[in-house]
Amino acid sequence: MGFPVSLRVDDPGVPESAADAVFAWLRDADARFSPFRPDSEVSRYGRGELARRELSADLTEVLGLCAHYRTATGGAFDVRPPGRPFDPCAVVKGWSVQRAAALLTAAGARRFCLNAGGDVITSSGPWRVGVRHPELADRLCTVLELTDGAVATSARYERGDHIVDGRTGLPATGLLSVTVVAPTLTVADAVATAAFALGAEGVGWAAGQDGCEVFAVDAERRVLRTPGFPAVAGERAAAA
Amino acid sequence: MKRALPVLVLSVAGLIPVWRYAPSTATTASPAPAATPAASDPSASASSGAASGAAAVVRGTTVDTEKGPVQVEVTFDGDTITAVRMLQQPQHPQTAAAVPQLVEETLAAQSADIDTVSGATVTSDGYRESLQAALDARGA
Repeated sequence: MGFPVSLRVDDPGVPESAADAVFAWLRDADARFSPFRPDSEVSRYGRGELARRELSADLTEVLGLCAHYRTATGGAFDVRPPGRPFDPCAVVKGWSVQRAAALLTAAGARRFCLNAGGDVITSSGPWRVGVRHPELADRLCTVLELTDGAVATSARYERGDHIVDGRTGLPATGLLSVTVVAPTLTVADAVATAAFALGAEGVGWAAGQDGCEVFAVDAERRVLRTPGFPAVAGERAAAA
Repeated sequence: MKRALPVLVLSVAGLIPVWRYAPSTATTASPAPAATPAASDPSASASSGAASGAAAVVRGTTVDTEKGPVQVEVTFDGDTITAVRMLQQPQHPQTAAAVPQLVEETLAAQSADIDTVSGATVTSDGYRESLQAALDARGA
């Protein structure tokens, strides 16, 4: 998958090895679940070389999540869209980074902020998380404050039209960017990707998901957000 | 369960108008003719012993409405209903109306003091140019 990971731990007594364990786990997850590695479990399953019952418990869990969001979006979120290979990255990323955060907690870390390719997990905040402006790479479109939770953003600006609407097999273009705040990154990342695949109707859909707050920019550059989205008050006025 | 069944039928009948609600329609709701006891359903896992005060989960039969099928599951504690859950509900705008209202704003560009940045999956090329890279450099 290949994305930069930034980790900040503010607890004094946490050993460096805790961070090493995080990066080792993420490398391991990449080796096992990357569809870009021909020998990964995901690639072998995608080619039909492994039966469902031969899969690891981890991949079985990931496939369960994929199936859940496929049903919940009426097929818009599909890890096997028409004419494209099996690619569960959208679920694997949030799920694996959430596991990484659990490793940190187990190692005694309390106050930390983990950013994996733009997806964020915070612990014992307050942490201030900026959301990248969909059109201006060096600006933010909102700032939110999070104590314990996760933020994920799906958009087209980094990797182009890489999210496909599984109902049509075509790139999803209804939104410029959608950001989801949820208790875990497993949920935040999957819901953000699924909402992006749904397009304009995805904003309301994501807003209806358990525990999710949403901030979306649609194709007309309108911002649509849930009333509970934890944006920092007064920030918009200061932006002018 | 004897008393529970009428209560279930009444709650199903009571819930149906919620889904059927439309200003112009007034078709009679047909209450569920019978309820399936939990014992026959492996997924109704609550203890369904005969002892008084025991929790029991009862599924109503599926009722077809003009908006689609509706099925409820009712949890009893003794004779008291403690929870009602929708097993099936129509995909219809009225159902979606439970979604929180969205606030509409104009898109603004801002800079602010932040700890980290959320954005679409950053490639290593993108990272070099990114705000997050600047934040990491500052912390290093």
